[in-house]
Amino acid sequence: MTQRSLAIGNLWAAATVAALLIAGPVSSQQAKPSAKSFTPPRTPDGQPDMQGIWSNAILTPLERPADLKDKAFFTKEEASAYVKRTIEQNNKDKRDGSGTDADVARAYNDFWWDRGTGIAKTLRTSLIVDPLDGRIPALTPLAQNRAEQVKEARRLHPADGPEDRPVGERCILLNSAGPPMMPSAYNNNYQVVQTAQTFVILNEMVHDARVIPLDGRPHVPQNIRLWMGDSRGHWDGNTLVVDTTNFTNQTPFRGSGPNLHLTERFTRMDAETLLYEFTVDDPESFARPWTAAIPSVRTTGPILEYACNEGNYGMTGLLSAARAEEKKSSK
Amino acid sequence: MGKGFVTLLGLAGLLAAVAPAWAHHAFAAEFDAQKPVKLKGTVAKVEFINPHSWIHIDVKDTDGKVTRWMVEGGSPNALFRRGVTKDALPQGTEISVDGYQAKDGSNRANGRDITFADGRKLFVGGSNPDEQPGK
Repeated sequence: MTQRSLAIGNLWAAATVAALLIAGPVSSQQAKPSAKSFTPPRTPDGQPDMQGIWSNAILTPLERPADLKDKAFFTKEEASAYVKRTIEQNNKDKRDGSGTDADVARAYNDFWWDRGTGIAKTLRTSLIVDPLDGRIPALTPLAQNRAEQVKEARRLHPADGPEDRPVGERCILLNSAGPPMMPSAYNNNYQVVQTAQTFVILNEMVHDARVIPLDGRPHVPQNIRLWMGDSRGHWDGNTLVVDTTNFTNQTPFRGSGPNLHLTERFTRMDAETLLYEFTVDDPESFARPWTAAIPSVRTTGPILEYACNEGNYGMTGLLSAARAEEKKSSK
Repeated sequence: MGKGFVTLLGLAGLLAAVAPAWAHHAFAAEFDAQKPVKLKGTVAKVEFINPHSWIHIDVKDTDGKVTRWMVEGGSPNALFRRGVTKDALPQGTEISVDGYQAKDGSNRANGRDITFADGRKLFVGGSNPDEQPGK
């Protein structure tokens, strides 16, 4: 098979996923997804079986665009137009603005990216389902101050060494793996493996595996802080509920702090959909808790390794660039 | 492009305009917008590695002197899913690269566009179902 025919085959698959994502009637009942009509298969241990590979590649934005105001759902026509428009906006193959940083940031052409090609079949205009305006609640003064300090530190020391760079660039943790998991530009896949005592999420972005105990053990002591927080899971009917605490101050999520209490909920909606909901509860950082929902869609594997540290030439490249710029400005 | 698209511009325009361009790292920190380069050469080596691929090419100048350049691409994972491997770029393949040179002046560039000798663009058009790839 040629490269082209393989690529076209893949586009067919992508188009099928897109049709799946945006298909279906719009009704107010769909505002709150219900899995009541679906009986999930069971693991040999009797748990709802969520094993398999799931994709979070979706074009629905986390926050409702401000100009949509109180419009929580697209019509079908609006959804199709929105998808077209978003794909066009994301298109790295356009060549306007040549010779600008914006064009440099587009990097390589579109074939390398994998953002998905559809929005949720609920036709929601945001992943955020609570509050009703679909927007992240206001940051507290403490959280604003914290964000300012990070910004100022980066301004004063943009690239003295790798520690000045974001954790993603350092291949420590990328934002789409979370927790909470978020749609991203590529590597949107995660694999679930279940045992009687654990629920494991292997996220393709940096190949992180979260091993979540289900045996009721308490969280680790407060003085122990973990890059991905400390997760504990329990079953609530057919839903897996995961509580995560003990974050560091290195992985803020949209302004959250180390005392974030994150609650994730996984529910099988049908054979092809695993609903992933998360609630951000961090009164130190946000005016109120907020919740988002992503319909993860079953996808074919395998999960590919993303050994980010092995070939991270970009880090030496940008540190070297910073030294060159310092030299230039000191002349 | 249909009527619906135009109608929705007002609804969705803002979002797309402010959506951040996200990549593994800040390309503008590494490459120089003031140094656009057009390179023509032959593939010497392909590294389909993470987080980003690198294509090494030998570029011959008018005096016949050969210089090795490194061209940065994206993560190979999406390409593998589309059935593309590094065999798509065998050693000796003639390609042209449009990109921006590294800020430190070394022979590295990002690969905005990579084009085969017959004019076909490499890996173009993957995420838009309305477009056909590989042409």
